[in-house]
Amino acid sequence: MARIIIDEREYECRDGVPVLLAALEAGFDVPHYCYHPSLSVVASCRLCLMEMKLPHPKTGEMGWAPKMFPSCQTPVKDGMEVRFNSDAVQENQRYCMEFFLINHPLDCPVCDKAGECYLQDYSEKFGNATSRMVDQKTKGPKKDVGPKTLLYTDRCVMCTRCVRFTEEISGTHELCVINRGVMNQIDVFPGIPLDNKMQGNVVDVCPVGALLDKDFLFKQRVWLLRSADSICPGCSTGCSIDVDANEDGLWRVKPRYNPKVNDYWMCDEGRFGWKYAFSKNRITQAATRRGGDWETLEWSEVPEVVNFRLTQCVQEHGAEKIGALLSPMMSCEEAWLLATHIRKIAPESTLAMGPVPIVGEDECFPVGCSPEEARFSISKEKCPNRRGIEMILDALGGSVLSFEAFVQSVADGKINGAWIAGGYPEPWVEKDLATAAAKLDVLVLQDLMCTDLLAQADVVLPFCAWTEREGCFVNRDGLVQPFKKARSAPEGAQRDGQYLFEIAGHRGLYSGARVREMMADSVPAVAEVYVPPRVPKYQH
Amino acid sequence: MSEYEPVLLANVGVENSRSIDVYTSRGGYTAAAKALKMTAEEVVEEVQRANLRGRGGAGFPAGVKWGFLPKGRTVTYLCVNADESEPPTFSNRVLMEEDPHQLLEGTLIAAYATQTTTAYIYMRVEFHEQFHILQKALDEAYAAGWFGKNIQGSGYSLNCYIHRGAGAYVCGEETGLIESLEGKRGEPRIKPPFPAVEGLFRKPTVVNNVETLCNVPHIINRGAEWFESIGPKHSTGPKLFCISGPVKKPGCYEGAMDISVRDLIFDERFGGGLLNGKELKAVLPGGVSMGILKADEIDCKLDFDDPRKYGLLGLGTAAAVVIDTDTDMRDVLANVCRFFGTESCGQCTHCREGTSWAQKISLRLQLGAGRDEDLDTLIDIANHMGMMSGMSICGLADGAAYPIRQIVEKFRDEFEGHLRSQVPGKVSRVLEVLN
Repeated sequence: MARIIIDEREYECRDGVPVLLAALEAGFDVPHYCYHPSLSVVASCRLCLMEMKLPHPKTGEMGWAPKMFPSCQTPVKDGMEVRFNSDAVQENQRYCMEFFLINHPLDCPVCDKAGECYLQDYSEKFGNATSRMVDQKTKGPKKDVGPKTLLYTDRCVMCTRCVRFTEEISGTHELCVINRGVMNQIDVFPGIPLDNKMQGNVVDVCPVGALLDKDFLFKQRVWLLRSADSICPGCSTGCSIDVDANEDGLWRVKPRYNPKVNDYWMCDEGRFGWKYAFSKNRITQAATRRGGDWETLEWSEVPEVVNFRLTQCVQEHGAEKIGALLSPMMSCEEAWLLATHIRKIAPESTLAMGPVPIVGEDECFPVGCSPEEARFSISKEKCPNRRGIEMILDALGGSVLSFEAFVQSVADGKINGAWIAGGYPEPWVEKDLATAAAKLDVLVLQDLMCTDLLAQADVVLPFCAWTEREGCFVNRDGLVQPFKKARSAPEGAQRDGQYLFEIAGHRGLYSGARVREMMADSVPAVAEVYVPPRVPKYQH
Repeated sequence: MSEYEPVLLANVGVENSRSIDVYTSRGGYTAAAKALKMTAEEVVEEVQRANLRGRGGAGFPAGVKWGFLPKGRTVTYLCVNADESEPPTFSNRVLMEEDPHQLLEGTLIAAYATQTTTAYIYMRVEFHEQFHILQKALDEAYAAGWFGKNIQGSGYSLNCYIHRGAGAYVCGEETGLIESLEGKRGEPRIKPPFPAVEGLFRKPTVVNNVETLCNVPHIINRGAEWFESIGPKHSTGPKLFCISGPVKKPGCYEGAMDISVRDLIFDERFGGGLLNGKELKAVLPGGVSMGILKADEIDCKLDFDDPRKYGLLGLGTAAAVVIDTDTDMRDVLANVCRFFGTESCGQCTHCREGTSWAQKISLRLQLGAGRDEDLDTLIDIANHMGMMSGMSICGLADGAAYPIRQIVEKFRDEFEGHLRSQVPGKVSRVLEVLN
């Protein structure tokens, strides 16, 4: 740990980091645009300039150097003294903000970034209220740089974070700077749009309203949004994300800093892959079959109906004839509640995990790098919690089958009563499962979308989208990460954790933490969850 | 002002001075032969003793620069900065046109001193004719065994290539040059690391100006003491001066750095005075980016130190533009601002926005539509663009700030006179048309 003096106070900071980062971590609001902790340093915005004490070239006496230094480019050294509160530094910030705005269209009322824009924030805090510029503004065009992204060059501050992102993180090199001086613009090469699996991040790194997400464009004012700390369920990488919701509408998903998993990034699959939560095909009500017809169940009736059906089956066929198919889309808490409950009803029952969707191969970024060098990767396992379910199955022991063996057992009549949990956004029921399920006496189906299994089900329960649930996922590296609810379950539905909690005989409100406490003895791995550190308040 | 015998321009005017035969017959390549028999350290030491200061503008001692190279390096590059693009400057052009072998010999000696493996001559693209002249000379030098493998049996090998730029002033800045040479946008790099440690292709690199290297063979031939004996202390050795504008004999001249701007304009050996009927109003003495001198300040000496006493940024390229009383300072200002506005690379905020803002204001002033506050705004922009070093990555912003501020400050009366006599309502009309 180095000790440095910032504005006359001593702070302890990490060795080797730029002074800017150390100051941000110490709680200072040092304005900056071009600096991003995960990208190379270009020191071009000149907004973070500071004063530094250096030995006098002749006398060797320490004193304030007659020039300013970019704090993003100056590494921390033990004993150094810097200041941001001097007149010269603050004057530079004020002039810099004026320079940034002279060619800016000031179109905040129609800009998507308004409310989370660092031109707004810094102008308010460090700039002037008015501009002295009366001449014509140099106006850049709007550009359609890719299928998902728009570029408003007139709002750009030329921090080049987006260019460096495509060079250093995605490794796809689509963006570049063209022209010179004030005519500088970000652009794509002719015929090569910004279209890679990580391109959405350029919108996140843009500190102003230059790069915008077409999907989110003009949908919401950002100050109306409330973020929930979540984990992306798109694959087993388990990226930390923020789910931005307003009035039970979901508007966008953004990456959240997680040094162990995704750094500051996420892929487009996860970013735009949540639309299924609003599918018309979703099961939103609990129902049971009476005669041949579906009858909607009140949630207060559900525990009784489900438990009655399952107990009856145990009495008719024996405890070993019951099985439960857990889904890798479930959280650990939900899977544990379900599995332990089935085992309570029928101690000899069979447990299995549903299919793990595999698509292609793991993808590493920057493209073309080896998995060891990867700064980001997308897993081929398109489910969030394979490791977690395996952990629970291991912990519970007893009769545990593979998915194929489970389907075979059902087909062979070895299992007569089953609870099958789905929850996959994509169609997942293969023909053999549907045919085998026809032989079941009792089928409790917990699923997200209507599938062929619905025809065989006796009780159907809605499997809510992850944004409506809470719990924890275990990613492919075994990291246990909690996610929070971002919106309520759709009308008529109840979140899985809650009804499983009640079916298992517990009273009160479900919460992930509460269930993890219950699980701690049998599955100690989930007792401690990993929550990544928050980035300093003024870092962006 | 002392008597002076041309050294750098000694071959100018000699018939066929570009050919290797003529060059050799006049004592060419003897310095290279001598240097190759010395050790590299001895050559560096000799140049250090001569205190050869860089002729590109900043005046940094070349030998010291060579000394910054790390020990134990395996690859070293030498870049010859032939991107001469400071507005009224054309001394490198004369050197390359008239005596290309002098540059090549200097390059070879500097390369040997720094144990360079490959040398690149980075030439501005507008030097079409000069490129072909220099390329022909390089081919001759290769054929004569002064470049290539095992030069003159010394065991030292050097390849030299001429690379042509793409037309950017900022590529004359050494790290901008390096970026451009690597095939990237010509944008200066942040320092540290300095090129001597991590330069071209991330390897130790030395960047020297054409005129600097042309001095090297003479230092080797005649010794550091000879070099030190020319001109005033700290500003020794031969120097080329350019003069342009309404003078009788515009051109490139050689002298010691003991002459003043007055000598350069009025002495018969240099500019020879103003054209008949013209009267001196101002001089931009060191290329445009050093600042401006009023007619009563022309006793400023053209050495590395004296210009600072007149508030100038430095000696610069020692290329003077003479401005006469018939010239409107608004035109001078607009021209200077337009140059920097279009030549800023656009990386750093102050320089990108400041130069373009100044360009817009100066254009409006030129069109006779100035506002009273414009002059203060221009000075304010200049003050916060580059008067304090460290505001931007390279010196371009400083080079823009100095002349802008000084033109406005030193000729404020003239600007204010124009503002007073301006047609009422002109500002809003011009703004309407421009906006």
